[in-house]
Amino acid sequence: MLKSSACGFGYLAMSGLLASSAEAGKGSLDALHFVPRAKRIIFLFMWGGPSHVDLFDPKPQLQAHDGKPIPQETGRPPRNGTLMKSPFRFAQHGQSGVWISELFPELSRHADRLCVIRSMHTEGSAHGEALLRLHTGQANLVRPSVGAWISYGLGRENEDLPAFVTISPPRGHGGVQNYGSAFLPAMHQGTAIGSAELPIAKAKIANLGNEKLEPRLQREQLDLIQRLNREHLNQVQYDRGIEGMISNYELAFRMQTSIPNLMDLQGETEETKSLYGIGSAPTDNFGRQCLLARKLAEQGVRYIQVSTDYTWDHHKELKSGIVTESAKVDRPIAGLLEDLERRGLLDETLVVWGAEFGRTPTAENKDGRNHHPQAFTMWLAGGGVRGGLTYGSTDDFGFAPTENPVHMHDLHATLLYGLGIDHTRLTYRHSGRDFRLTDVHGSIVQDIWS
Amino acid sequence: MNVKDFQPTLARIRSSSSWIWVLLVGFFTGFFLGNTQFASADEPSKEEGIAFYEKHIRPLFAKHCYSCHSAKAADLQGELRLDIPEGWNSEGANGPRVIPGAPEASSLIQAIQSTDANKKMPPSGSLSKEEIEKLVLWIRMGAPGPQDGLMHRIDDPSDPIAGKEHWAFQKLEPSAPSSIAREETEREWATSQLDRYILAELQEASLSPVADAKPLDFLRRLSFQLTGLPPSEDDVRDYLAAGLEPGEVSESKKEKLVDRLLASPQFGKRWGRHWLDLARYADSNGLDENFLFREAWRYRNWVIDAINEDMPFDRFVLEQIAGDLLPYDTIEQRDRQRIASGFLVIGPKVLLGNNAMNQKMEVADEQLDTIGKALWGQSLGCARCHDHKFDPIPTRDYYAMAGIFASTSVMEMRYMLGEQRLMERLVGLGEHGNVADDEYEQYWRSMPQRRKTAKEAEEALALLRRSQEEALALIAEKNEEALSPIAKDMTLPHADRVLAQESFVKDCKSAIAKPPSIPPRGMISQDIEAPADEAIRIAGQFDRMGAVVPRGVLQVLQEDKPWIIEEKRSGRVEFGRWLMDGESASSRLVARVLANRIWYQLFGNGLVRTVDNFGRTGEVASHPELLDYLAQRLIDSGWSTKSLVREIVMSKTFALSTEFQSDNHVRDPDNKKYWRMNRRRLEPEAYRDAMLEVAGLLDISSTGSTVSYLGDQATAVGENKVRRKTDIPFRSIYLPVIRNDLPEIFDAFDFANPHQATGSRPNTVVPNQALFAMNDPLMLATSKSMAERLFLVHPNDGIEEKTEHLFEWVFHQRPTAGERDAIQVFVEEFESSNKSESTNSEKKSQHDELEAWTLVCHALLASSRFQYLE
Repeated sequence: MLKSSACGFGYLAMSGLLASSAEAGKGSLDALHFVPRAKRIIFLFMWGGPSHVDLFDPKPQLQAHDGKPIPQETGRPPRNGTLMKSPFRFAQHGQSGVWISELFPELSRHADRLCVIRSMHTEGSAHGEALLRLHTGQANLVRPSVGAWISYGLGRENEDLPAFVTISPPRGHGGVQNYGSAFLPAMHQGTAIGSAELPIAKAKIANLGNEKLEPRLQREQLDLIQRLNREHLNQVQYDRGIEGMISNYELAFRMQTSIPNLMDLQGETEETKSLYGIGSAPTDNFGRQCLLARKLAEQGVRYIQVSTDYTWDHHKELKSGIVTESAKVDRPIAGLLEDLERRGLLDETLVVWGAEFGRTPTAENKDGRNHHPQAFTMWLAGGGVRGGLTYGSTDDFGFAPTENPVHMHDLHATLLYGLGIDHTRLTYRHSGRDFRLTDVHGSIVQDIWS
Repeated sequence: MNVKDFQPTLARIRSSSSWIWVLLVGFFTGFFLGNTQFASADEPSKEEGIAFYEKHIRPLFAKHCYSCHSAKAADLQGELRLDIPEGWNSEGANGPRVIPGAPEASSLIQAIQSTDANKKMPPSGSLSKEEIEKLVLWIRMGAPGPQDGLMHRIDDPSDPIAGKEHWAFQKLEPSAPSSIAREETEREWATSQLDRYILAELQEASLSPVADAKPLDFLRRLSFQLTGLPPSEDDVRDYLAAGLEPGEVSESKKEKLVDRLLASPQFGKRWGRHWLDLARYADSNGLDENFLFREAWRYRNWVIDAINEDMPFDRFVLEQIAGDLLPYDTIEQRDRQRIASGFLVIGPKVLLGNNAMNQKMEVADEQLDTIGKALWGQSLGCARCHDHKFDPIPTRDYYAMAGIFASTSVMEMRYMLGEQRLMERLVGLGEHGNVADDEYEQYWRSMPQRRKTAKEAEEALALLRRSQEEALALIAEKNEEALSPIAKDMTLPHADRVLAQESFVKDCKSAIAKPPSIPPRGMISQDIEAPADEAIRIAGQFDRMGAVVPRGVLQVLQEDKPWIIEEKRSGRVEFGRWLMDGESASSRLVARVLANRIWYQLFGNGLVRTVDNFGRTGEVASHPELLDYLAQRLIDSGWSTKSLVREIVMSKTFALSTEFQSDNHVRDPDNKKYWRMNRRRLEPEAYRDAMLEVAGLLDISSTGSTVSYLGDQATAVGENKVRRKTDIPFRSIYLPVIRNDLPEIFDAFDFANPHQATGSRPNTVVPNQALFAMNDPLMLATSKSMAERLFLVHPNDGIEEKTEHLFEWVFHQRPTAGERDAIQVFVEEFESSNKSESTNSEKKSQHDELEAWTLVCHALLASSRFQYLE
């Protein structure tokens, strides 16, 4: 298509170039490997590591042994401190009876939509390593992020938007590496909107718009740039790099309008906004993030991550900390599930909730909990998962998975499966060999799908 | 959901052989419930059984089990081999491994199904459900295997002896160009031996080279390639005087120019950066905790200096691998060599919560990976967990080399961000550097104590004022340091004691408020106290020890000479010297890889296109004799990089234009035969430097640290709001390279990923580049400065004259009619549309004119002509 249009670019040729950017948006897979359960993923990331034994994995034995050392029969060294009961009440919710603590009252109303995996486990006892493993599967080597792999495999659904967007990503603990494309082509890198410490209402995408020029004038300037470029291309007759550059200028200019429009929540009804808790403390910020995620989902973005600030790391004063943090996200998450459902998007959107690790059943600093990658909880909803299912389990105290352990690699394999991709067959040749998200690991968890 | 949108094609996972299909479906569900034998009608033939083994079971064993349970296992586990029937038919500690027909009684299956972490096989990871099903089925089938005496030879790509046959390890064969130019004129075309190799291949492929580049295009090319900068005004004037058409500039003029650019200190600021890509240079750790490498810049500047003085490449590498161990005459030389060893220190490391032994092995791995890739074009990292699947690198060779680097220390405990941490190793520079370094560290180490003392001294002062002598004595008893000697002395007058303690408290506080300045230090490696051989780590797991391997080198590159390490040394000096010793196998490989890298930088493609992969999965050379010729030249010149650069840029091939030629294009669309020069986009460094240069904003002098204002946390995280700055006037090689927070222009325009050795940067065309060019503050600042300069020098010129000036200045050429017209239309429209809206004062109109030309300058900088090099 482009090859023939070596000379004489007019506006007709320009439309040819636009088609080429759609071509560039095509994924690497000619066909999916499985019948897909979902078209896209929204990952709600609770940076810091929420405590599983206070939210989704109730432990009566922990209550019974509160303040006592770890019992000998667990085979765990007693020096790891004394056990600490959860200060929160748990109840079963929905027809399925999923256990959820009192911290998530709004989410509890969606219990029958949740598939709670209690047997997650990973490596990395510090945040940085665990974050990198969560997002890229590996910590000591730079590897593409989950979203980048999905972008690479499936391509863009909407030619004006990237396939992978990350809302308020962390700057620390690996930072951009957590949404980077590593050796995959750069177009698959996650597009960042803001960063974790910044309220989303103030977030911007770098260089998306000119501080000095009004759009009309910038369009005139862009016309000049493009005339110069086409003159150059005319002179050299054929150059794919310059052709690509010309089409990119147009795409970039369109993005300057389309993305701010998308980020603007003006067009949403008050009812919708209040569904997400927008306009009221403390839910406003996360509510806006979740609503933006829904808008991106609607526009065909394949992988959307929403991150909290680094606020779930409760080494002390766990009770007040987790009360505060849960209150920020409970309503927005429930609102997101509700809104997706109303719009008929929940069936095709896999919502994933979780973090880099869980927290110890034992106390730290008297009233906090330490990092615990050996066992923790994540949940999935929508996108073809079996709602109301509690999958896997941990021991009496929440130290280690007992039934159906799900390693982070397994989760990655399972998420790709949900999108119709075989994790062993989505590969990229780099440095003389084929790489994949799950390296040489990962088993698909089949039982969680409806 | 609507699955139609996807048009999925379901994968056919299973064998197409129909009986297997039936078996799989039929037996899957209840295979453990009863000991069902095959119904005779379904029983597979012997051939089918062996086929099943070959197709499903052998690959499964090879993938999961061979590393510990086969002839190639470095350390055979449990005396079990799964590469021969005798192995799986043997008796193990838990009974027979395989009982044909009875999977559930076979200990092999029990081990695979075990949930006991100590018994489960494989020890890490697990077989998939499908794989287990296949194994069970296979045993149920009677565990068919290769027939006796007909064991397939296991093809072992990691065999280092057979591996010597691979082309890249062979002797250099710079035989004369394979065919001779047919016509006299064609023979004359070539101006160097190098060109004759190229011409022979062109003729072989019926391609004819395009004409030479125009002198000014060539000047621009040469200037950017050798210095990363546009040509100076003097050079342009000089060339313009000689002529505008190819052939009008004499060879001697060209030669002089080349020699001057090679001798320019700017050469090292471009070619040093090429090495820094390979050395994964960065000013911060990256990965999990992005701590600042405050002293990395000294290594960067060492590289620039070494390249500028054309340090022989063998010495260049030796100093980086073993600089801290080499003899020296002066303290300055000692420090320079030590700083070079920063090469080993600047790698990224998982810092927090990492097991010490794991960290040690990861650091060695990272160093080996960098060295293997940068010098040999080999991916050594694969052999950490298993014998290399493609290249002749057995795991034992990997650990032989890992022993050298695991006997090297690049980290130490230091006080940082409030606690003692294992950080990159720093050593004081200068004659008394170690003393200054100790004092500085001691200051911080004692900080908690210092704070405590200051607090107690204040408490003591309060007590003293109130004359509460008993309580005061208690404090003195607990911490003698908390009281000044005078205050302690009860025989002295009370007022004197108070005064003394007051000044003591003040001193304590000011010592805390004013830490000493950081002494000059370098990131430097050292041998550990007891260098030792390393054990193989089974499946790459740091805590699963296999056999210990004597330190050494890759067998495939080893010659007959024995490899001896001096007593109590890591072996780095020996390794560094061995790498490029005479014309050894390693020398030859390094020379080929390096010659190819130099070619790649100058042409945009390598003769071996996979510049970082000279292994079996890499490409072979497009011009093998030429590559060997260049490699030989490198060795013969005593490893002089500049000589080889010089030879190449003086060639006819380098002087060709980028002209498009459709016949050639059809035959060789990727220009693999070099019928023309490749048109290339400027690297982000050259793009930025060129913009600053044409705007008159660039300072081409050298500089030191550009990260000194940053805190220990290199990225702006949490409390830390200070972020790396990019608005410095110096050349881009000096911009901070913070891993995971690169300067915006680096990020957009395909800078190397500084976490790993990068021989060829990606070459992407993405909208971020357009957004940068349209909006980044750098673009706005440079174009404003350009327009101001234009008005300063040519205040009264009209649009056409201004356009001419700009084009000469920015592109060293005249605008085309179309370009002139485009600018004219833009400026006129800008001015008329603005005039209509405003009161037409002269000042306003001047302002508008400047504004219009600022936008024009911006457009030129954003245009393809500026971003591309002909």
